[in-house]
Order: sequence, then C-alpha cells, then structure tokens
Amino acid sequence: MALDLNSDISDEALLVAYGNGDREAAFVLTTRFTPRVLGYATRILGGDRAEAEDVTQEALLRLWKIAPDWRQGEAKVTTWLYRVVSNLCTDRLRKRRNVDIDAIEEPADTRPAVTQRLIAEDRARALIGAMRDLPDRQKQAVTLRHIEGLTNPEIAAIMEISTEAVESLTARGKRALAKTLAHRRKELGYGDE
Amino acid sequence: MAMNEHDMLNDTELAALFEAAQESAPLPSQKLWDQVHQDALAALPPPRGVANVAPAQPGILAGIIAAIGGWPSLAGLVTATIAGVWIGFANPDALNDSTIAGLLPGFSATQGYDLDDFAPGFTGLSAILEEG
Repeated sequence: MALDLNSDISDEALLVAYGNGDREAAFVLTTRFTPRVLGYATRILGGDRAEAEDVTQEALLRLWKIAPDWRQGEAKVTTWLYRVVSNLCTDRLRKRRNVDIDAIEEPADTRPAVTQRLIAEDRARALIGAMRDLPDRQKQAVTLRHIEGLTNPEIAAIMEISTEAVESLTARGKRALAKTLAHRRKELGYGDE
Repeated sequence: MAMNEHDMLNDTELAALFEAAQESAPLPSQKLWDQVHQDALAALPPPRGVANVAPAQPGILAGIIAAIGGWPSLAGLVTATIAGVWIGFANPDALNDSTIAGLLPGFSATQGYDLDDFAPGFTGLSAILEEG
C-alpha cells in the first residue's frame, strides 16, 4: 500500500493495514497519533511532560496490540485511543494524589510578557495550571471539547456517558475555570476591570 | 465575599485561553518518536499471505478436452477440421484421379475408384447387405 502522511486513508483502514503487517501503515499511524496523544495527556496530567510521554507510549502500545483484531466500522480509532489515554491519566492522577498533589511545579517563567506569543504561552500555562484543580471528569470533558475540538457526541462515546452529561461537565468545568482565573485577569492580558 | 458573574472571566476570555492552549501543543521529543516507532515495528504482525484456495472443480468442457488428449490434441482436431472444410470448398486440382492413383495401388483413372479402394472388404459387406 503506498501511503504518505497526507493520505486520506482513514485511521481505521490504516489500523487494519497495520494489523495485516503493513510497515508503511505503522509509520503513518505513529506520525498521526503521537503528537495528538501527547498533547491530550500533557493537558490532563497538568503539564507533566515526562509522565505524558510514558502515557503516550503505553497507549500506542495497546493500540498496536489490538490492531490484528480491529474491525472496520465498529468504532473510531480516536474514540478508543482518547478513552485509553483518559483512563491511563486517571490512574496516574490517583496515584499522584496519594503522594503529593503539588509535587508538579508549574513551569516558571519570570520574563515579562512583551509579545503576543509570550502572552499566549502565559495564558496556556495558566489554563493548564487552573485545570489541575478540576475534577478528573470535568477536566477530560473540557479538554476534549475546547482544546481537542471534539463534538459532544464524540466525547460522550469516549467517556461512555450521555451528551447531556457531557454538556453538564463542560459547563461546570468552564465555570470553575472562569472563577479560578478571575484574579489573574490582568496577568492574562485582559486588563483590570 | 462571594464572587459574582461580573468578576469571573467571560466566555470570550475563556475561549482565548483555550485557543492559546491549542496553539501551545507540546511536540514529541526525538526519544518518544523513536520509542513509539520501535514499539510499532516490534508489535507489527507478520504480513498475511494469500489464503489457501481450494482448486476449482473441472467443468464438462475441461473433461471432454482431457478425454481427447488435452489442449494439443484439440489444436490438431481444429486444424484437421479447417483443412477438411477448405478442401471441400476449394476442390483443388491436385486432388484428382492421377494423384489418387499414386496413393492407392490398383486404382485406375479410367474406372475411377470405389469405397473398396479405401476400405478393402467393403464390397463383401455390400454384397451381404444386398442379399439381405
């Protein structure tokens, strides 16, 4: 099968090809999924990059193992993958809480936010920091909806809940974030209102 | 003092934060790329070969062809048929009484030839048939 990174071939078809021993499919799948899984895991784990890389490797390893049994049309690969990553992150967050909830330091950056890029970095950092305080399910729903850009039905499939429950989780999560970050309004470049 | 709606970030401000988070997506390290790719190749199943397919049962035509000696015999049969048809239509001069006389001992061009020339003993058979 001749494949390239911009191929229109679906994730599901690629996974079936991988399950049939296609090396090119292995290359395209790793290139497609590694950044996506890493980004999601990093956000859910509150910015812990090292742990997010471990989760990424573990989640993809599980994907390779189920590939030979994958049946096209049964489920979306991304739905399955986000679910696995969510579960792996939840397990790690539970273990972390038993040790020290504040063990992970927010990356320090004392440089003045003189450019738009730096403001954006500060905003992203502040958001990820504030999301650490959200309950796990709210954090997953908010991240999938507002950062990963998935639809409510897709999130419902990943989290195995109803779309109404997704709406409720995201609404409560956003409200909590809006409160938590209110006192940092000026720092985030919104002025002092 | 409880925080009121005005103190909280509004939807537009929150949306800007989400957008900033989207843009600051972490990039995988080279180590992670290597590990993931190595895992993918290590877990790669062996290529699946073509499935064993039962040989098709020979058809009636194939049975007939096999009975007469296979495709080479069929080719000879077709050639002989075409040659016979051609000789019948063309009636070539080379196939006259004198050439037949060379082929059949005892044949006379004046008296022509009979079936008995080609099938010795045929006359006896004719006599039996005539006598009933």
